[in-house]
Amino acid sequence: MADKSNDPVALWQNMIGEMEKGFNAFANQAMASPQFSKVVNQVGGATAGAQKQLGELMEKYLLTMNLPSRAQMVGMAERLQSIEGQLNEIKSMLHHMQGNSANTGSGHPATPRPPRTKRPPPAGGEQK
Amino acid sequence: MTAPAASDQAGFDLSSIPERIQSEVQRAIARSIKGVEYISTSGPSLGSTPKDVLSTRGTMNLYHYRPVEDEIYRVPILIVMATTNRGYILDMVPGQSFIEFLLKRGYDVYMLDWTAPKPEEKSLRMEDYVLDFIPDCVRQVQRDSGENDVTVIGYCFGGVLSLLYGSIFADGPMKNLICFTTPVDFREMKLFQNFSDRRYFDVDHLVDSIGNVPPEMILSSFEMLRPASRAASQVQLWENIWNDQFVKSYRMFDRWATDTLPLAGEYFRTITKDLMWDNKLFNDTMSVSGRKADIASIKVPMLHAVAEHDHIVPYAAARPLIEKIGSADKEEVILKGGHVSLVAGPNAVRRLWPKLDSWLCERST
Repeated sequence: MADKSNDPVALWQNMIGEMEKGFNAFANQAMASPQFSKVVNQVGGATAGAQKQLGELMEKYLLTMNLPSRAQMVGMAERLQSIEGQLNEIKSMLHHMQGNSANTGSGHPATPRPPRTKRPPPAGGEQK
Repeated sequence: MTAPAASDQAGFDLSSIPERIQSEVQRAIARSIKGVEYISTSGPSLGSTPKDVLSTRGTMNLYHYRPVEDEIYRVPILIVMATTNRGYILDMVPGQSFIEFLLKRGYDVYMLDWTAPKPEEKSLRMEDYVLDFIPDCVRQVQRDSGENDVTVIGYCFGGVLSLLYGSIFADGPMKNLICFTTPVDFREMKLFQNFSDRRYFDVDHLVDSIGNVPPEMILSSFEMLRPASRAASQVQLWENIWNDQFVKSYRMFDRWATDTLPLAGEYFRTITKDLMWDNKLFNDTMSVSGRKADIASIKVPMLHAVAEHDHIVPYAAARPLIEKIGSADKEEVILKGGHVSLVAGPNAVRRLWPKLDSWLCERST
């Protein structure tokens, strides 16, 4: 095996790894302090408030511009999703009906489901 | 015999310098070419194991993966994914897909996966997940498979939801429970504890102001646990960009890690207050919509897989689960790796997946 102790590339990679570890450890220590939590949450709280106000302003703006609001777009997406959901249900029902009719031998062939008869391999046996 | 290599006093192999320079120049050229390729192409297609969508309802999606073996085990598996992340971490690419592995070993696999809750789903509560979505999926798995028994596998917070479900519905139909890196003692998630310190973190103000908790906030809270790692991984990517295999793997995991989901506001409020602040799961005081959720009431066979170097769910947070659960047949396995490499990637292929198969196959008939 090549000697890594003098390989500049390996040394560089090792240095990056060590720096990462060191910085993470240092940052974790700093982030564990109550002061950090206080500052982060103060900033976060203010941002959340500003985000809410901005959202309300945008709603008013869109209404003035005679553009669909987010709520209306979401409503349309909801309806589409509900239609998709119903189609999936119909598909699933058809699938089951097809399976049932195939089981009674009177219908179209259904997607075969393998039998649930598999047993664990014998102790020490290798699975394929 | 070859002549000894020329070396200086420190043992540096001088004869290898031209070769090394040549290799580095070649890699530098390859980096430039591959770098352009990296920017102009998309990553590998993920989550491509053939499946059918059995049900979609708001944030909830239930998939059934098509069996690939001629004969399968009697008991189907329902995987409950963590609500913060996408399920394709368990179905990366062929050869590195946990789902594909299970199918090839003869299991019938279903997955409860989540999509981003919409703004109007901010009112989804813990009850909706534990008393509605999971039981609904279990019923659908029973109906679709024709079997009454179901094995439940929960990953990370999906494990917490599975525990709550299993505690409340202790009489069945869950036959086996497998948890991956599932926290129980939330005091031990030290940094998350500090981020959500009740003296400074006004969860009510946050949820009332913005509704759903945005994915950027979730992602940055994960990234803050290892703040230098993103930059270091990008340096690593640049160094290895000539290596197609490395780049493919990097893109898969990076895409998944940054594809974080928002969390429904009310649900987040409950997680913060009941789990992070009051540690109710650990203290045996957890209830969901007035129904007591005591882990000790779970009696089914249980396997808990934890990662030795998990920085998101430290071992101390996951350890009490095996002691608290009421099952007589229970096992904890501590495997090398981190929160993600435990379940996906080459580490998981070698360690977790075979272990899980050997444990589960005997309990799936």
